[in-house]
Amino acid sequence: MFKHLFKLIWNKKKQNFLLITEMFVSFLVLFAVFSMVVYFYQNYKKPAGFDYNDVWVATFSMPEHLQSNDSVNLFAEAMRNSLKSMPEIKELSFTSMNVPFSMSTNGTSVSSQQKPRVHTNIFEVEPTYKDVLSIHMVEGRWFQKGDHVAKLRPVVLNQKLKEELFGSEPALGKTLGEENYKTGQFEDRFKVIGVVQNLKETGDYQAIESGVYRGMDSGGLRWNNTILLKVQPGADAAFESRLFKTLSNMTGTSIEIEHLEKKRITKNKLALVPMIIMLIVGGFLIINVAMGLFGVLWYNINKRRGEIGLRRAIGASGSAVSKQLIGEAMVLSTMALIVGSFFAVQFPLLHVFDLPASVYVAAILLAIVFIYLLVFVCALYPGKQAAAIYPAVALHEE
Amino acid sequence: MLKNYFKIAIAVLKRRKFFTFISLFGIAFTLTILIVATAFVDNAVSANYPEANRDRSLYINMLEQRNPEKGYSMNGPMSYHYASTYISTLKTPEKVALGTMFTPTNTYVANKKLVIDLKLTNAEFWDVMQFHFLEGKPYGQQQIANSELVAVISEETKQEYFGDVASVVGKTIETDNVKYKVMGVVKSVPVTMLVSYADMYVPYTASKTNLKTKSYNGMFMAVLMGRTKADLPKMKAEYASVVAKVPPGDAEMKQVISHADKYLESFVRSSPLRGKDGPNMSMLYLVLVVFVLLFMLLPTLNLVNINISRIMERSSEIGVRKAFGASSGTLIGQFVVENLILTAIGTVIGVALSFFVLQYINSSGMIANIHLTINFTVLLYSVIACIVFGLLSGVYPAWRMSRLQVVAALKA
Repeated sequence: MFKHLFKLIWNKKKQNFLLITEMFVSFLVLFAVFSMVVYFYQNYKKPAGFDYNDVWVATFSMPEHLQSNDSVNLFAEAMRNSLKSMPEIKELSFTSMNVPFSMSTNGTSVSSQQKPRVHTNIFEVEPTYKDVLSIHMVEGRWFQKGDHVAKLRPVVLNQKLKEELFGSEPALGKTLGEENYKTGQFEDRFKVIGVVQNLKETGDYQAIESGVYRGMDSGGLRWNNTILLKVQPGADAAFESRLFKTLSNMTGTSIEIEHLEKKRITKNKLALVPMIIMLIVGGFLIINVAMGLFGVLWYNINKRRGEIGLRRAIGASGSAVSKQLIGEAMVLSTMALIVGSFFAVQFPLLHVFDLPASVYVAAILLAIVFIYLLVFVCALYPGKQAAAIYPAVALHEE
Repeated sequence: MLKNYFKIAIAVLKRRKFFTFISLFGIAFTLTILIVATAFVDNAVSANYPEANRDRSLYINMLEQRNPEKGYSMNGPMSYHYASTYISTLKTPEKVALGTMFTPTNTYVANKKLVIDLKLTNAEFWDVMQFHFLEGKPYGQQQIANSELVAVISEETKQEYFGDVASVVGKTIETDNVKYKVMGVVKSVPVTMLVSYADMYVPYTASKTNLKTKSYNGMFMAVLMGRTKADLPKMKAEYASVVAKVPPGDAEMKQVISHADKYLESFVRSSPLRGKDGPNMSMLYLVLVVFVLLFMLLPTLNLVNINISRIMERSSEIGVRKAFGASSGTLIGQFVVENLILTAIGTVIGVALSFFVLQYINSSGMIANIHLTINFTVLLYSVIACIVFGLLSGVYPAWRMSRLQVVAALKA
């Protein structure tokens, strides 16, 4: 049966060549669109790992007259006390500016005995950070006050970084090296005290990045002028305005207050807009192709009325004829898909774009199913029409 | 004869309405996407409101400090100290506009939060940028020298902060815990104009940060406006010679690198398309052309397929004409002309369609204050591209048809 269909198509390879090319290109377009969709969906499915509701971010700069670490720390302590005295504020933490859903990142390179160099995000935080964002520990412990005086600074890794550095081996108590940017050498600086669940802090649709959390040291407050605030549910703009005045009067510098929920929405929008544009453009291209296929198949079947009439006359049933025509279209698309898959498979094999192989595999499968469905639907109606041909009429025309 | 072709083409189009619809849909849709995409690019790149002087201006957005021995660098906009010492003193430019990147600030009106993007500028900023003042006027040298707390706000900010009032000049607007006196209201600028966009413009002397700091990196960007377009190379050369003599601003840094570029170049310079010696513009155009060609590949293949079916359908007509002595050339010519007529109709629909899409984008507020229009150069390029593809998709089927044996054609 298949051999026969294949022969029929081979005999008309010239006419079918363009049709195959069209299906091939459609497959590639679908493959690209599905890769993106699958990738976003895989990321979306992963848990957030923290609670961004009722968390606000305040950005300020330290007054310029504060020069020594001590005066900065005293000033920060005063800020902390006056903020904590507001009943609407549950908890707060000074942090580096790379808070969740922000546009800024802070990177460094670390090394373990297994891995000589891993690039990672680094977060400077305070012991209260964990409670502000409701982070879950997987093993070990979070920071405590006074941790930073140790010679090897205690750090907490997220699960992703832990796996990159240590694989399945235990990480607690291990020493990490950090790259010295001046010499390019790795120096032992950190000691792992805990591992936290991954935080999806780049947005719902982005990949989880590796991260290391480091307790702020005594000079850290000079550079880390961001405060994360966990507020009571229902804290409103009136409170925000009071908070703003308090901060502004204390520092005398520019203040910005943002909400993590809103930052998340903005960040997601930034990720989704290109995908939506791609889906719209891809969708229209496919509609275009579907109509073209439908037209061409319809025309081809009309041209073969004589052949079909003859088949019917010597005993083929209507459904056999329509099955044959749909089968032919399917064999055509199979040829296009084989060529297309050959190209698509190169993506996971050559690690193009650094996406996980599972994304490409799922995208290839989805694109194959979609093309088959498309061709099937486009061939269904012309096939039915062919089945309705009366042998006598068709042969008479001939 | 062309009239005859035209008549035949219309008759054929009417005969198979479904095929006609598919072809027109493909052409119109492809063109619409191209025109909308280029409208976005054009809006970001060409000299739109308020940067009307862009073709005689150079932009300095970035200053890089480098230490080649140790391999680290600092990159970003400039400090006021650097800009006033090395850029405002340039001889060739007619005016030098200085403005910071916009910083979001918070204000609270009637228990509602408002985010106002603030930009600090010098007085020349208002001469280089051609803002349209709905009321009031810009601040000048005098206000800056006195460190007056005055502001020019955008129409949108006026609406959000003051509501529906006739005039707001002289009123007070408070943001970031500072009260400013409104001096003027300008037509709003879309956020895509990075250098001129803000909700509120205030004199740089109203800054909360210390302007005397000697570090080179800061928040300022500069626009050099020449007297004519011919001044551009001179300005570029003068700035290059000044930068070459700038002493390192930091004990750790050895080199200062900064360039005065045309608007588009200034962005390409900080993108992956940057070449060895500066922005690689031809690479940018090449990437764009390849992308457009790839995008048009699928609709074209579709069109070729449909055209083959359509022409095959007319094999008996072709057989008769060949039998009466028509040459292959004539036949090909006829089919190509027919296809061009089809493409032309599709183009008209596509232009109309993109007009509606752009209207929709403008009014939907997807990007605030943006005004996209069909640019005629863009339209011309798109139409040329469509005609080329129309030709391509017509020639191959026609060529195949013209090779048909007369007998075979007549028999069908």
